[in-house]
This record gives sequence, C-alpha cells and structure tokens, in this order.
Amino acid sequence: MTDLFVARDLCKRFGGLQALRNVDVVQRAGETLGMIGPNGSGKTSFVNAVTGELALDSGTIDFAGRDITGVRPHKVARAGLARTFQAVRIFARLSVRDNLQTAMLVLDDAANSLEAEERVELLHWLKLDHRLDAVAGSLTLFEQRRLELAMRLMMRPQLIMLDEPVGGLAPGEIRAMMQILNELKARCSIFVIEHTMRVIRELADRVVVLITGEKIADGPPVDILKDQRVIEQYLGTAHA
Amino acid sequence: MRRYLRSAITPQLLLLLAAAIALAVVVSGNRFFAFVLGITMISILWAAGMNLLTGYTGLVSLAFAGIAGISAYGTVGLVMRCGWSFWLAMPVAVLGAAVVGVLLGLPSLRLKGFYFALSSLVIQTVLSLGFVYFIGLTNGDTGISQIPPPDIPLTGVSFHGIGFDLLLTFAAWLSLAATWAIAHSPFGRRLVAIREDEVLAEAIGIDVIRNKMLVFFVGSLYAGVGGALYATYVGFASPRSFDLLSSLSIWLMVAFGGRGTFMGPVVGALILAPVPFMLQQYDTLKDVIYGALIIAVIVLMPGGVYGTLLAYVRRLPSLKRYLSKQRGGVPNDGSVRRS
Repeated sequence: MTDLFVARDLCKRFGGLQALRNVDVVQRAGETLGMIGPNGSGKTSFVNAVTGELALDSGTIDFAGRDITGVRPHKVARAGLARTFQAVRIFARLSVRDNLQTAMLVLDDAANSLEAEERVELLHWLKLDHRLDAVAGSLTLFEQRRLELAMRLMMRPQLIMLDEPVGGLAPGEIRAMMQILNELKARCSIFVIEHTMRVIRELADRVVVLITGEKIADGPPVDILKDQRVIEQYLGTAHA
Repeated sequence: MRRYLRSAITPQLLLLLAAAIALAVVVSGNRFFAFVLGITMISILWAAGMNLLTGYTGLVSLAFAGIAGISAYGTVGLVMRCGWSFWLAMPVAVLGAAVVGVLLGLPSLRLKGFYFALSSLVIQTVLSLGFVYFIGLTNGDTGISQIPPPDIPLTGVSFHGIGFDLLLTFAAWLSLAATWAIAHSPFGRRLVAIREDEVLAEAIGIDVIRNKMLVFFVGSLYAGVGGALYATYVGFASPRSFDLLSSLSIWLMVAFGGRGTFMGPVVGALILAPVPFMLQQYDTLKDVIYGALIIAVIVLMPGGVYGTLLAYVRRLPSLKRYLSKQRGGVPNDGSVRRS
C-alpha cells in the first residue's frame, strides 16, 4: 500500500503549552487510522495543523505525494483532504439543499461535479433525501453530522478526517453512525479522532495514541490495548 | 457568466424598471420631487452595492462613501480639468476608486465582523481627511461647484431634466439586475457561505480571502458609479457628501430594508433617502432621527422591514413553495445577525 498521508516531526507550541511534540504519523491509502488521547492531548491541533487552520512551528506534511505544509485550508480541501469539526459545523440558517449545493461549488469549478445519480445515492445512503428543504439548524445532531459528512463527500475526498464523529450522539445513534462509518470506508480513506476506545477498536486498522502532544504508541488496536504505557497513562485513567 | 446575466432579465425586474420609469415621468413636473427621486435612485444603486458587502458577505464597509468620493473627485477632475467626456472619465475613475478601495481594504480582509467594520471606519476617516487635505484636487471644505452634467456623446448637449432622472433610474435598475445575477451565481453562493461561517467555507474549498477581495472590488464599483453620478447630478461635491455619515446612512438603508434580501435595500432606500429632504429645516434633527433609526432597527427588526415581512409571508404555505426557490438571502426569522 502506498502512503497517502505522511506527517513528519510536527511541532506546535501555544505559549508555554507544547500542543504537538515531534509527532510522526503515516497513513496508507485505504487504511482507517485512529487517533486517541485524553482531552487536551493535541488531537484536534494535529488535524488543524494538517488541514492548514493552524500554522506549524516545524515539521512537514505530505498528502497524496504533494507537500501541503503551510497550505491554506481551502487548498487542502481542494487537494482531496476533507475534515469535519468536533463541534458540528454546518450553515445552520440555510436549507439542507443550499448546504449541499455550496459544498458542491468546488467540483462545479473543476467540471468534475457529482453525477445526479451519485448525489441521489449519497443522500439516500445518509438518509437525508427527505430533509432537503429543512433549515439545517433545525435538524437533530445526528442528522447534522450526516449532513456534514454528505457535504464532504460532495467534494470527492481521498481522505476524510473526522473529529469525534459520534460525540454527543445517543447510544442508538452511535451504533447507526458506526455502521455509516464502516460503509464509508468503501468511499474514501478515514482518519478518525475519538477518545472512546470502543469506537476506535471497531473502526480503525491502526491507532496512534497522543498524550500531552506526544505520540506514545502506534499500532493495531489489539496491541494498543495491551501496551503498558497506554494502559498506565490513558486507558487506566477515567478518560477512556 | 452570461447565463447568470440572462437570468437577471426576469419579469419581476422588468416590472421594477417599468415602475421606476413611470415614477420618474410622473414626478418630472415638479423639479423638487424629481430631484428627490434622482437622489433616491442613486441611493438604491449604493444600497445594492452595500447589500452585496453587508447583506450577502457580512462585511460592514463604512468606507463605502469614501470610495464613492474618490470616484466622484476623479470623474469631476477628468471632466473639468482634462476636458474628458463623462463617459470616459467615469469608468476610469470608478476603476481607480475600486482599485484604491481594494488596496486600502487588503489588510482588513482577514478580519471579520466587528473588526472589519472598525478597520473600514479608519479607512473612511483617512479618506475624509484626504478630501479636505488635498485642496488642489478637491478644493477642500469649500468643495467643487458648477460640475457639468454628463454629456450625451456626439450630440454636444448634456443630460438634464427628465433625461438625467431616467439615466439615474436606469443606472439604479442596472445595479439591481447585476446584484440579482451575482446573488444567483456560484459567486453569490460563496459570499453567503463566507457570511455564514468562514471556517466551514474554507473547509469546503472556498478561498475566503480571494472572494472577499472580489466582492470588495465589485462593491466599490457600485460605490464609484454612484459617486460619479451623484457629483454630476447635484453639481456639487464636498467632503461632507462622502463622509462617515454618508456611509452609515447607506448601511442603514440596507439594514432598515433587510440585509441579504434582494428587495430589502430598495425598500430601505425608498423610505430613507427622501428623509433628509423632508427635514431640510431641521438639520440636527435629521442626525438624531438617523441615530434613533439605527438603534431601533438593530433591536427591533434585525431582519429589516422587508426581511421581517418576508419572514411572515414565508409562513403562509401557498407562497412558501414559490419563495423557497428564491435563494441567495437567508430566511429572516428575526434571529440576530452578527455583522
């Protein structure tokens, strides 16, 4: 498998706080990579750095054979690396349809837009087809998360970075979301941040553990669960 | 782009043009009313440009009148000193003003909301000072008087009377048609996305800074055309015509009518532009009324007069389906907009 995404030696400091400390992460094409760690361990900073929201102090990021270090967010998105946000982000005052059409603008420009059938299939899969005229802000959180996902898939991403995709969902919804994410693997590669081990164990092929900005483990979920340092510093605590 | 321009020729817009022309003809008997209408038409043009910035993109540009002033002084200078035709001078001055506007605005394009408004306030202040300071170009506080009206090319006569009124009417209508086309284009969608959530807009591949710069340029074109027409219509240009209060009153027309709705600014301009003329004897009172209106609109009707009306009408099911197809604006449900 080829490397889809390579982050080397990422460092970021916020004043006295080292948010990222020499972090190396490699994701292969088609692989589902998980990232776990307690609150404040630098997971979201990592995604922000990769997608260009956050300027790095040092380090390089390659995506699909291209150096995207320091590239602005809209260009990263155009390059095929989509992301979602920890607190769901949609155009709350616009209709679901307008949200989706706005997300399609980029591919419209590239004349590479999704075919009508592809769109119908996507919206049917995410069970949004009956909600198109609703104001996006009036949707349930679960629907909003699905809308967020649909908007990203309208851009034909190669890799999608999900920041806590089941955060705030009810137990039944979590199960439904897990199924959606498992099916999503057939559409693009997934990088997923979570701080519940259960979700990661079910989804990810490989897991990176981040604690206070430092990568302390990297491997298949089964091994991570047995890793002594991870147990001591993370799993053994109340966070997981 | 042609597709979007063609979409501008809708029945509603043609109706609007017919109504405006009829109005201009009806009031042409009374020079005072005709003049008020002419100024109202320029205000509609300005409000349409301000609506692109404030309504669709969420940028409150308080330097709007200043940019109009650059174009006005530019046009007047080229016509009166260099002997150019208005129709050559105006485009040159407008483009110049728009370029200056973008250059001055560049540092503030990364800012949003309140901070953008604040930085545009500074730009307006600097421009106002410039108009007073560069006496050689602007004749300072005294202003430039006896500005000739636009010539009718190849005829040797100038626009005057009803002809000039109709020219302004047409210019106002053209600005609305352009706004309509932009609102219904992908560019308009990007602007709305930027207004609603810049971070999300970037995450779905929209170049926020580039689009802000573009809309700033386009908005400055509106400001500039209005400035050139204003100076030649009134026949007089002074720094007071293009000061902060002018920017604010254009903003107020947009907010009063309904930000981000197509017709809102038109309604706002129609109601507010004649107010100063009605209160000519009470100059201080005018400013008090403007101040009170700004507060009243922000507190009581964040969606504006037309926007609030639209929100009620949208609740009627029969019209709902029709209106839901009209996009560009936001559903004005009275929720407060932070811009």
